[in-house]
Amino acid sequence: MGKNLAYIILGVFSVVLPFIVTSDYYLHLIIIALMWVTIGSAWNLLAGYTGQVSFGHAMFFGIGAYTTGIFVTKLGISAWWGMAFGGVFAMLIGLFVGWVCFRLRGPYFALATLAGGEIFRLIATNWEKLTEGMVGILIIQTFTSKMPYYYIVLALAALCIYVIHLVMKSKWGYYFVSIRENQDAAESLGINSTLYKNISLLISSFFTGMAGAFYMNYMAFIDPHVVFSLHYISIMAILVGIVGGVATIMGPAVGAFIMVGLQETFRSALFGFAPAWTSEVHALVFGLLVIFVILFLPNGVVGDWPKIKRNVFRMKASS
Amino acid sequence: MRRHKVVLMSMLCIMGLILFGVSPAAAVKVGIVLPLTGAEAKFGEIKKNSFDMAAEEINNKGGIKGEKLELIVEDDMGRPEVGRSVAEKLITKDKVVMLGGGYSSSCTYAVAGVAQQNSVPFLVSTGSADKITTSGWDYVFRLNPPVSEYAKAIESLLSEVIKPKTAVILHENSLFGTSGAKSFEENCQRLGIKVLLRQGYEAGGIDFKPVLIGVKQLNPDIVYMVSYIMDASLLMKQAKELKLTPKMFIGGAAGFTMPEFKKNAGVASEKVISATLWHQVLRYPGAMDYYNKYVKRFKTETEYHGAEAYAAAYVIADALKRAKSYSRTDIKQALSETDMMTVFGPVKFISYKNFKNQNKLPTYVVQWIDGELELVWPANLATKKFVYPVDWLKTWKY
Repeated sequence: MGKNLAYIILGVFSVVLPFIVTSDYYLHLIIIALMWVTIGSAWNLLAGYTGQVSFGHAMFFGIGAYTTGIFVTKLGISAWWGMAFGGVFAMLIGLFVGWVCFRLRGPYFALATLAGGEIFRLIATNWEKLTEGMVGILIIQTFTSKMPYYYIVLALAALCIYVIHLVMKSKWGYYFVSIRENQDAAESLGINSTLYKNISLLISSFFTGMAGAFYMNYMAFIDPHVVFSLHYISIMAILVGIVGGVATIMGPAVGAFIMVGLQETFRSALFGFAPAWTSEVHALVFGLLVIFVILFLPNGVVGDWPKIKRNVFRMKASS
Repeated sequence: MRRHKVVLMSMLCIMGLILFGVSPAAAVKVGIVLPLTGAEAKFGEIKKNSFDMAAEEINNKGGIKGEKLELIVEDDMGRPEVGRSVAEKLITKDKVVMLGGGYSSSCTYAVAGVAQQNSVPFLVSTGSADKITTSGWDYVFRLNPPVSEYAKAIESLLSEVIKPKTAVILHENSLFGTSGAKSFEENCQRLGIKVLLRQGYEAGGIDFKPVLIGVKQLNPDIVYMVSYIMDASLLMKQAKELKLTPKMFIGGAAGFTMPEFKKNAGVASEKVISATLWHQVLRYPGAMDYYNKYVKRFKTETEYHGAEAYAAAYVIADALKRAKSYSRTDIKQALSETDMMTVFGPVKFISYKNFKNQNKLPTYVVQWIDGELELVWPANLATKKFVYPVDWLKTWKY
């Protein structure tokens, strides 16, 4: 009962949020965080629940964004159609990647996805006729207000989390976890591990592609370095998952807000309260924080919440 | 119960974000977007120093109609999406009357898009890809020439002195690098120079030898490079190691004129020429003064990027002084009527060819001679005679 109430409160809160937060700047940060909720959750389904750690989610993100961008610039089709197709195209690429990469296990799969992301970045850089290369694609935003974007990305994030929640409650979810825990044992029980790993990848790539398409719609400018970035997309997806809590439904959601919040806090030198030089060390501090989380909260903020309560708030774990 | 806390946490995070917003009071606020961290931080630094210096001088002389000119400098990290959010923050949170700055073309382009959409005047001081002022955006003004014109002086030097037959063009894969290289390729074709190779590389590379060995085999008369600092230095160092000796190494501005280029490349920087937009010896009022003041205060040399920023601050101040009010249309109007002299040269925003609100300026050629950046072309303005032909192996002390 308490759980449902919490979700209802969260839902109502999300819907009225743009009326409380009137500053475009904060709304922008929240929109970006919600986009990361989607990507982080999608990554978490594949890496956290199915145990297939991907270092190349920028690949799906970029495909989604570029599908949308190319639809607008080359075919003159509305960018919003691109959102639907962005997810589908990312899924098709996911199918291909799965076909190739799921022959590999563990670190080899991770390396293959890492290479995949880089390959797509190079294609986007050099195939200038289609992608405009490093010049990038600029479109005109549909809305000048941020509100519509907020509700769209909110719906996307909520849908993503809900779908993952449903999947994980179903038989598929149990298959995913069994593959993560012991692939050989799962196979000996008759689970077609390649099929289920692919299903997990497809769902994951679909939502990541949708997030990429949303990014194109919202930011209205992309270039290969931005959307196929190893550092800012693929690694960020992993960090969002790890900081929030791997293999928890709400973990990546919390992780996304923490990461986006931290990044902006350091970039703007504590919103202008700290001396300017602090913004110059932000990359360092950021790195240290990540090390701290990995060392002391290996299950993420959500996964290790009882531990945080015990040690920080000196409360007894109640759950 | 556990879920409860999770929900609470995320709400707290959001609330925290909201509560953090307090901004300081009054004065005329202008937002400046620059890369202060990341790969382009050196350019950001030289520009920030120059902006700060100019703002101080303007305020010491009474500011803008008695009000203080406050430049809010924000870091775009050299990333377009950050540039975009920074521009939005400056416009909606800090309520700046106009925007300035912009270093890398990609970031500047993204910021210009935001400025145009929000109808906020934006004075670009470096971002040089043609596209920024050929998109028909009426709120975007550019102080520096577009990248396609960077090599103008180089062209006359090529056709009058070097007279090369073949060329190789290397450029970093970026909006700036690609568009600069492409327009130089077109110029070569017009001048009857055969382009043997135009190759892009990933910025921040750690080894250019595979590329340079290919260049050595082609044995071109000139090698033209469009690179930021680290790549520029490494390219020259490795060209030296491979004893790659074309008739001339030519840099397409950016990295090749920075003091750090000389520091990093050492003797390999000697006799390299580069396009430039400015040199302190030019007969623009205050140019030498600015150079001396900068060296005195920051203990390091400055070059065209700094001069652009310094001049931009004065153009901003001038436009704000003339504007009827601080409304966006009035400032836009004032900017478009700009007609003034700065340390960077005369500034006037005109429309020609596809360009809109573009300042038109001559460009120059500089050469590193005995560790100093000397103006060598056009010949009538030169501080030292253009050293040519160059015996590279002797220059590199082999």
